[in-house]
Amino acid sequence: MSSDIRVKKKHVVNGYRKKHSMIGLAFSIPVIIFLLVFVLYPVVYNIWLSFTNASLMTGTSEFVGIDNYVRIFSNKLFKKYFWNTCVWTFWSVLGQLLLGLGLALLISRPMRGGTALRSFLLIPYVVPAVALALVTKWIMNSDYGIVSYWMQQAGVLDGRQSLLALQGPAMWVVILLNIWRSYPFPMLIYWAAIKGIDREVMEAAAVDGASKWRTFLHITLPELKNTTIVLAVLRVIWTATYYDLIYMVTGGGPAGSTTHLPILIYQSSFGSFQIGYASAISMILGVLMFICIIFYVSKSDAADS
Amino acid sequence: MKKAKTKKYASNILIAVLIIACIFMVGFPIAWMALSSVKPGVELFTIPPRIFPQNWSLEWYKQALANENVIHYFFNSLFIASTVMIIDMVIGSMTAYSLTRFSFRGRRFILMCVLAAYCVPPIMLMLPMYRIMNMLQLSGSHAGVIIGHLTVTLPFSVWLMVSFFKKLPQGIDEAAVMDGANEWQVFIKVDLPLCIPGVLSTGIMAFIMSWNEFLLSSVLVNKESMKTLTVGIANYISSTHIDWGIIMSLGTITTLPVIVLFAMVQKYFVEGMTAGAVKG
Repeated sequence: MSSDIRVKKKHVVNGYRKKHSMIGLAFSIPVIIFLLVFVLYPVVYNIWLSFTNASLMTGTSEFVGIDNYVRIFSNKLFKKYFWNTCVWTFWSVLGQLLLGLGLALLISRPMRGGTALRSFLLIPYVVPAVALALVTKWIMNSDYGIVSYWMQQAGVLDGRQSLLALQGPAMWVVILLNIWRSYPFPMLIYWAAIKGIDREVMEAAAVDGASKWRTFLHITLPELKNTTIVLAVLRVIWTATYYDLIYMVTGGGPAGSTTHLPILIYQSSFGSFQIGYASAISMILGVLMFICIIFYVSKSDAADS
Repeated sequence: MKKAKTKKYASNILIAVLIIACIFMVGFPIAWMALSSVKPGVELFTIPPRIFPQNWSLEWYKQALANENVIHYFFNSLFIASTVMIIDMVIGSMTAYSLTRFSFRGRRFILMCVLAAYCVPPIMLMLPMYRIMNMLQLSGSHAGVIIGHLTVTLPFSVWLMVSFFKKLPQGIDEAAVMDGANEWQVFIKVDLPLCIPGVLSTGIMAFIMSWNEFLLSSVLVNKESMKTLTVGIANYISSTHIDWGIIMSLGTITTLPVIVLFAMVQKYFVEGMTAGAVKG
């Protein structure tokens, strides 16, 4: 009797799997259509636009070959903005990974209130960039901002001066802000990875008399290598293309010192209305990001699930 | 023995100092914004600046809310984010069900495409999206912004929900099939109810992402009464006359709901993100 049921069950379930796997696919169709129409098509459309002289002013859109790309590479300022993008991306990503790792180590210690601390440290992940930008402009206000006041008192800044008005420091301010809002993600991923490290290995090391520092250096760090690579790639994609914060804090200024490619794309589209040209810039950024995306997807567990 | 104790004591103090430093680092900007928003005008501009207000005042909030555009911004954001959340929950959970409970050709490919779409940044979509919305005559409408936000949130939602659906044992589906349920019934009556905490948390994260989104919202809508909160407030700052008190109150109004929502779902968010998002 019981074996009968088992046979019947197996039969039904196998038949179910075979017959209905296409019905399973049907549940994915809305997402497939959406991604084709509103993600893939725009990306392809962007490639086409980059070879045209499309303009919001004149409404024209004619094929001009690689003219836009020639113009971009012969523009001296482009080199500067590209370099700004590199500086912004490199230090933002390095900073958030280091801070994220440090805090992950902190919250993975067994201690009272550890979960509460973890929750608290995640808050910057959801604070709207606009709020962060507004409060930054306020605390850095040259006349009444509290941070400007402290720095003026300490003699770091001249009276009635703000860091945001100085070409060098403005970039550092936006980088620090970006680290502030983006460290929680690496922290969370590092924390999970640290938890996943075999307890026994750690304990064995402790028994053998390895110091905490040596354990960290020789066990924890090597275990985190792959996580770090994948995280770094993902964060490079999101940082190099991140527009909101710089736009709202400095607008790319002073004197273009914080203008990076996303700001340049926006200015070329809605400042000078040359969307063909702007598309070409975003293609240059896009090709670099595409390489990162392929790498990321191939390393993530979508590839092996 | 004594030495070890002293060492332990010292390291505990170091940890405590670190924790306080972290709390200050995270809390300061948010606290300063909230404190500034309840300081009356005179106190906002005292030199040296005072940390805590001597007299609490809600005058900035009154002034901010007296502006009818602000009310528009608020309800626009609420409407857009809620719609995005619902669509994400419906489509996202269907996709997660499909990608975790069936084995069909191309399943892995779809999963990888979703992940790739998750990485496509808004700045790359901005221009083509603007043109497409014009072509579809959706520019300047909330529908356009909602579609824009879905490009950002939908791949994220699918990805997070997959990690919740993955955890359900296959046996549950099989038992339901034995009882004669079809795929739709298995989804609606068995799997979805079991995954509801994860699906709802993902929906709320999508709500937060949509609420916070700036670039696409700013490009796809230009009429004052149609703008979202983030775009509306960002404009305040570029006007020549800046009312810091009003701006700080608007910043607080935008931030607080998000922190409250996040506090509610962060447990599931942590669970979902650490289960699958990035692994080496």
